[in-house]
Amino acid sequence: MNIDLTIAIIITMVGASTPLLLAALGELVVEKSGVLNLGIEGMMLTGAVVGFAVTYTTGNPWLGIFAAAIAGASVSMIFAFLTLTLSANQVATGLALTIFGAGFSALFGQPFTGKPIALFKSIFPDSLTEHPILRVFFDYSPLVYFSLFMVFAVYWFLQKTRAGLILRAVGENDHSAHSIGYSVIGVRYGAVAFGGAMAGIGGSCFPLILTPQWVEGLTGGRGWIALALVVFAAWRPGRLLAGAYLFGLIATMELYAKAAGGSFRIIPSELWASLPYLATIIVLVLISIRHKTSSSAPACLGKPFIPN
Amino acid sequence: MQLKLEKKLQPSKIMLFATPILAVLLTMVLGAIIFSLLGYDGLGAVREIFLTPILNSLKWQDLAVKAAPLIIIGIGLSIGFRANVWNIGAEGQYIVGGLAATGVALLTHEMSGWWLLPLMAIAGMAGGMAWVFIPALLRTKLKVSEILTTLMLTYVAVQLLNFLIFGPWKSPTSYGQPQTVLFNDFQILPYIIKGTIVQAGAPIAVLIALIAWVLMSKSVFGFQVKTVGSAPNAARYGGFSENKTIWITLLIGGSLAGLAGMLEVAGPFNRMVPQFPTGYGFTAIIVAFLGRLHPIGVLVAGIVLAITFVGGEVAQTTIGLPNAAVGLFQAMMLFLLLAGDVLVRYNIKRVRRAS
Amino acid sequence: MNNKQQKTPFRLKLEGITKAFPGVLANDQVSFAIKAGEIHALLGENGAGKSTLVKMIYGIMLPDSGSIFWNGEKIHIKNPKEARSLGIGMVFQHFSLFEAMSVLENIALGMDNKLSKKQLEAKVYEVMDTYGLSLEPSRIVSTLGVGERQRIEIVRALLLNPKLLIMDEPTSVLTPQEVEQLFATLRQLAKNGCSILYISHKLHEIKALCDGATILRGGKIVGECDPKKETSKSMAEMMIGASLQAINKSTIKDFGEIALEVKNLSLAGVGDFGVSLKNISFNVRHGEIFGIAGVAGNGQNELQSALGGEVVLKDQAAIKLNEFLIGNMSANDRRKKGLCAVPEERHGHAAVPDFNLKDNAILTARDRQNMTKLGMISAKHAKDFTKQVIDEFNVMTTGSAAIAGSLSGGNLQKFIMGREIMQVPDVLVVSQPTWGVDAGAAAAIHQALIDLAAGGAAIIIISQDLDELLELCDAIAVINEGNLSEPKNIGQVSIEEIGLLMGGVHGQNSEQLTPNSEVIAS
Repeated sequence: MNIDLTIAIIITMVGASTPLLLAALGELVVEKSGVLNLGIEGMMLTGAVVGFAVTYTTGNPWLGIFAAAIAGASVSMIFAFLTLTLSANQVATGLALTIFGAGFSALFGQPFTGKPIALFKSIFPDSLTEHPILRVFFDYSPLVYFSLFMVFAVYWFLQKTRAGLILRAVGENDHSAHSIGYSVIGVRYGAVAFGGAMAGIGGSCFPLILTPQWVEGLTGGRGWIALALVVFAAWRPGRLLAGAYLFGLIATMELYAKAAGGSFRIIPSELWASLPYLATIIVLVLISIRHKTSSSAPACLGKPFIPN
Repeated sequence: MQLKLEKKLQPSKIMLFATPILAVLLTMVLGAIIFSLLGYDGLGAVREIFLTPILNSLKWQDLAVKAAPLIIIGIGLSIGFRANVWNIGAEGQYIVGGLAATGVALLTHEMSGWWLLPLMAIAGMAGGMAWVFIPALLRTKLKVSEILTTLMLTYVAVQLLNFLIFGPWKSPTSYGQPQTVLFNDFQILPYIIKGTIVQAGAPIAVLIALIAWVLMSKSVFGFQVKTVGSAPNAARYGGFSENKTIWITLLIGGSLAGLAGMLEVAGPFNRMVPQFPTGYGFTAIIVAFLGRLHPIGVLVAGIVLAITFVGGEVAQTTIGLPNAAVGLFQAMMLFLLLAGDVLVRYNIKRVRRAS
Repeated sequence: MNNKQQKTPFRLKLEGITKAFPGVLANDQVSFAIKAGEIHALLGENGAGKSTLVKMIYGIMLPDSGSIFWNGEKIHIKNPKEARSLGIGMVFQHFSLFEAMSVLENIALGMDNKLSKKQLEAKVYEVMDTYGLSLEPSRIVSTLGVGERQRIEIVRALLLNPKLLIMDEPTSVLTPQEVEQLFATLRQLAKNGCSILYISHKLHEIKALCDGATILRGGKIVGECDPKKETSKSMAEMMIGASLQAINKSTIKDFGEIALEVKNLSLAGVGDFGVSLKNISFNVRHGEIFGIAGVAGNGQNELQSALGGEVVLKDQAAIKLNEFLIGNMSANDRRKKGLCAVPEERHGHAAVPDFNLKDNAILTARDRQNMTKLGMISAKHAKDFTKQVIDEFNVMTTGSAAIAGSLSGGNLQKFIMGREIMQVPDVLVVSQPTWGVDAGAAAAIHQALIDLAAGGAAIIIISQDLDELLELCDAIAVINEGNLSEPKNIGQVSIEEIGLLMGGVHGQNSEQLTPNSEVIAS
């Protein structure tokens, strides 16, 4: 295979994977604390529209990303209040959050539809980003490096810090954690907020590094894939990275299938478009076969905590 | 100070009925405030969305048309939710049901007879069931969460729809438009009330709600569903199979969504078009919850949600409110209902931490 | 030394502690005190308010009123962290451990000071050396047995150099041999000056271990004593009060034909913590009460499910009910043939807490009581039957529309037992029939079981409460790691023998000892 094409595919793949990776990392932490937030798609859309609006208005993508994180975390607090403080059903509340995010982003984004911004490109010098080989390392938006850093940061936090230990404990056995004296609800609020911020940043990747404009519903169900990815990765950040890039690769192949025609055209583009979703199902099946006897899911996942 | 929930010894019956109504009313109040703050005519938005469709009798037929699929899908979902079976991909089952009915219509396009519509209905239900077959199999055999599988298959269903109408099913006479041929007269639902657009969907929806009501409140099957959802261990102890319950509830949900798809494609659409996925399958989730997972509640909730859809269109033309606002209202309604649920189950107490 | 302690303040002193929950006064004006180095028992039945009281001492709950003094100083313990910083440690009855984490991670979670992994590991070894405890720090908790799990809790508490150690029912899951080991550790701790608050309802343990005892009943203090000077009987009277009825058991036994025959029942365990049942065989005759003793988690739940039909066996012949082979039948079909069952857990297993009593009657009685016709339920039949159960078994409730979860434990258990007994089964399989039930209800349930057997039913009681089994049963066997011991008639078995069987010791030591008169006499 042609080296230029390979590099082009890698670069597209990494870009396509980044929003997934960011959102899924956030959800991983949320789920490790024992909460199942199905509202990722809604939080991503919120982050995407706010990130776009702030970047468009200020011209500063850094501010846009920051605003996206705040926006994602803010809407996640609706979920947190309902499920954690009022112990509402997490599945229903998560769905409501998705519908809310879709409605809010469509409404808020309407004035911005069709307006262009500049892509948030690599900050390395052109000599690196345009180098035929080296660009495979340097021709990425800072968001890409941030997502890679966060893979490590989340791993380090969960496995090496005391706060991470407490967070895992809360997800593993909430009543025990409570009886030792940890604030189950407090820890979970924190985790949900982090998940919201990460989903918000993940959402902002769409207008900032993929298509430089606001389109209604532009996340196209990536929030749900992020959810599946967490299961795919068996709640481990390292595997999450591999999984996200695999999904990015499939999505990239779809793009090339559409554009290139020719040999790719043997398989209809609709099938390529279906592949990430079908792959998720296949992965879910593989995981459950492998983990038939012992699941690695946090033991309290999705269960409301009501101290007695 | 913090809030403390104290479980009520008996859940409050009054609150059970009052919270959905309160949720709708509070949505209207909050909606008016929020949209005013956003620079729209907030009061006008609430009036157009919630009141005009009720007060203007010309809109009633629109309500019946919109409410029918929401109720039919919502009933199916609510039975599953009762059993803790989270089929959230009804949209996909709705699409495939519509596609299956379309397939039959295209195959029998040259034929005539009263039996064509029932055949299409059966095909639609079979299509919906086929689309939950894999999630049901995976959930019962391998414990794979149906939340993810049903949803993933929804996106696949959209691609299947695109593939068929851009490809093999594309009408040769549609000047390149991606759509099928128009169904023949025996393949289109009859109008129930002369001079209106109300077709067979509305009475079917009412009938299904009534059947589901009897089934859920009086039959052993309904008892089984409720027991499996409320306490799976107790269900096993009582002699009910959880897997069987998952299968049946998923198949009911899929077949009703598929039936709704058939009723839509043979009703308002008359042919398969790219705009067929209208999001009814997702909105029906709200309908199921707002209706408290009770068949009659779902019937009422379906009408309420239909009101917001019809009202949303009104508000778009009269006061220029973007259509997306409707989704916001709907989500708000669900949030408030879920928050209100707490009032049913708990006494809320303010406690001050001892210092 | 001792007369000097008169002047030093008490290590812990409670004055007028009161705590109410909706519908229950859990603690009513409770006052008592513990000296330094004293092992003090808090004695009471299940539901007497012991757990609530210690939760307030450990800061998990706050008292509604009353004061706590620590070394003579009035304090408010807002949370467990504060309790720990004062020097109060606690070992929970239901261990507060994290299954998927290592021993060391579990210990680290209980520590408030920040230590590196290495420092912590060194300290753990130090404590284990001092008290002769052994644990492997890197092991994952889910792979450990109950005795080892309790040791984690103890090590965790000891690392804090506690001045007061609270032990909540620490021996309920231990074998007699493990209990001895625990007592040795506690005595050594007390000698080093640590006070111990020992919560239990086991009289012989308290006599063997404690220097003083406070007795609770119905949330109130009903007595204080020196257990070494009391007899078990006198303490039991204080603990139970006058509510206990003498059991009416006919002495002449005339058993009928074999009602239930279990033959080579084997079942693979499910999941990480499942126990496999291995070749279990026994017979129960009409009119006989058969007891299955054992330490928790040795296959009792699995056996209950296999007998009751919640797990359907492949081997049809493994269970024979009268003339029917029922091993491969569902729970419902077994019920139709005459086998009813009551699992251990009331909430969410034997009853649906969110359903009303009528619906909970439908749950198991719908077929035997003709409540269904053509797949539809007759609400009237169900209501009538529910009312009968409520009346016959004195269930204190507002009626058949009351939500099961709103009933007290004892009343719900009476309802559940009544529901099954009034279906007049040929065979009844029950687990822990009086677990967490007040004395009055327990006596009523015991009497109902005896009456049912007298009417010709075969009854199997699976229980961890040895006293209960010895009181009710005609024959007894012990389950250990999924194996069932040879059944013995009650008159031919000693408490030591049962204890050894529970600890997995077979044969060699179980020569015929005289029955322990203190426990067996009833």
